[in-house]
Amino acid sequence: MLGIALALLVLAASQRPRVEFGPQQHVVSINPKMCVHTRLTDEVEPWKIQRTFEMVREMGASWVVEYFLWAAQEPARGVYDWSHADLVIDHAANQGLTLIARLGYVPEWARPPRTSPLLLDKDGYDAFADFVAAFASRYRGRVNYIIIWNEPNLSQEWGFRKVDPAGYTEMLRRVYPAVKRANPDVKILAGALAPTLAPPGSEWGLNDLDYLQAMYDAGAAPYFDVLAVHSYGWTFPPDAPAGVDAVNFSRAELLHDVMVRNGDGDKPIIITEGGWNDHPRWTKAVRPAQRAAYTVRAYEKVLTEWPWAQALCVWAFRYPRPAGTYQDYYTFVDGDFRPKPIYEAVRRYARGEGVPSLP
Amino acid sequence: MGGYRYVQRRPWLLALLALLIIACGLLLRRTIAAGREATWAHIQQTGIWRVGMDPSFPPFENLDTGTGQPVGLDVDLANAIARRWGVRAELVGVGFDQLVDAVAARRVDSAISALPAFADRTKEVSFSSPYIEAGIVLAAPIGSPIAKPEDLAGKRVAAEWGSAGDAEARGLQQRLEGPFDLVLSESADAALGAVDAGKADAVIVDAISLALYNRAGGRLAQVGKPLRSDPYVIVVPKGAPRLLTEVNNALAALEEDGTLAAIRGRWLDTAGP
Repeated sequence: MLGIALALLVLAASQRPRVEFGPQQHVVSINPKMCVHTRLTDEVEPWKIQRTFEMVREMGASWVVEYFLWAAQEPARGVYDWSHADLVIDHAANQGLTLIARLGYVPEWARPPRTSPLLLDKDGYDAFADFVAAFASRYRGRVNYIIIWNEPNLSQEWGFRKVDPAGYTEMLRRVYPAVKRANPDVKILAGALAPTLAPPGSEWGLNDLDYLQAMYDAGAAPYFDVLAVHSYGWTFPPDAPAGVDAVNFSRAELLHDVMVRNGDGDKPIIITEGGWNDHPRWTKAVRPAQRAAYTVRAYEKVLTEWPWAQALCVWAFRYPRPAGTYQDYYTFVDGDFRPKPIYEAVRRYARGEGVPSLP
Repeated sequence: MGGYRYVQRRPWLLALLALLIIACGLLLRRTIAAGREATWAHIQQTGIWRVGMDPSFPPFENLDTGTGQPVGLDVDLANAIARRWGVRAELVGVGFDQLVDAVAARRVDSAISALPAFADRTKEVSFSSPYIEAGIVLAAPIGSPIAKPEDLAGKRVAAEWGSAGDAEARGLQQRLEGPFDLVLSESADAALGAVDAGKADAVIVDAISLALYNRAGGRLAQVGKPLRSDPYVIVVPKGAPRLLTEVNNALAALEEDGTLAAIRGRWLDTAGP
């Protein structure tokens, strides 16, 4: 019986692809600012993590954004589980990719019972700072960019409370020095604001321009190194002009203007989320050919016209499972790693084989 | 002799009685708890059912260009359910990404917005019975000899490149004994049109795209059951069993009396040409 059980175990193990890191890889691309959001938070199979980063590299992107859950990495105060993060970060490094780590998602021990995992009281800021510092220390030399929180200008992302730019600034004020003590080389990215026209007083959030100004008013400037920006195109081409009443790709220019007005113009921006969607019925989507052309044009624009932007990270490379909604039409490859037309278009661009004409 | 009288004890009767009392107590407690359920009670007291939706996904919900008000299948469904309850549906615009969280946080009472039952969110919210199938189906021209997936051997099958239909088609290719040619198109409509144009014998596509294509004059019929079922549901908070029960009861009643079919028919051609 024992022999049969052992045989079955060996057989089961042999069915799984064996994952070896292989030689160190390097990205070959005409555009060093190309980036994608890889969404591996829920991906547990090592070969899929490796395959994701392989395909990102082969497509020509040099950067990736990945989301690491505080609740998963620190399940109890001072107790860390770095296993999944190690896997993701090591594979990204092996493929020659620069990884930007987004940190958030509050563990149950750090928030009141039965509250949103996106709610963190000021009492929990030091615990969060300690976690970010521990992350920065562990991955010193492998992760040099850390995004603090996500879209705090949306009530949902702020635990369904009234948004609080001063509160977010206080979070940065606690996190920044703690992280720099642990790893002075890491760059802290703040903001990652949702592009929205929500007016002051809206129960759902505050527009990104007003929110960023409020952060500066609260004294945020010394507590971040890079501004993270979210820049979605919706139905507008990448060259549609920016406007305070318009949500389009160029809105990133307005955020940069806010930085300049506050004496922070030398600080870089990284667009950590953005892009287009090609669902056939979503009103904010474009056609697949448009999506491919707009994405390539956006990468080119960031390279040649936006010197203040270090990278453009398009949402999202792949979902581990289909969402069953229009969100599936953001991806570059499907769940089985089959490339979509946009993947092929971007890869051709990165190889210098041409830019698809804008339809 | 004294006044002592022997009474034969029946322990099983006492045990049965005890069980009955316990059962009644539990049932009574549950009934009272359900009656006190905050969400349902609030809807009844205020006469308002706050329903979250993202009006950017026709024909389910979209903003009417003339009135600026939300219209669509989900809008009609919300209003039909509210009428059955004797309340008013207040449609609250919420970004799609925020809908499930908004329900979990009770910022809205429910969400109806072309939402599938997200398997990874069952700890935070509950999902109603399905009200429409939106999964992947096989379709062929009316009168086609293709009556089941096995009949696809040697045929040309269209699918939208990179879509769930494409993935389903490739999976089917591996499962079936006889291979078929996969004809990839850039959009769902192009894949459907390829069949009508004779460039493919069948198509694998989502059920909603098929219905809309036929509504616009297409002549394709679904073959058999969905290849992959992925219905839309109504989302309610966890810990609101009464509300969930009432939603499901309403859906069942609307299905039975034909209202749900009429709503689907108004926005989709569900009967085929």
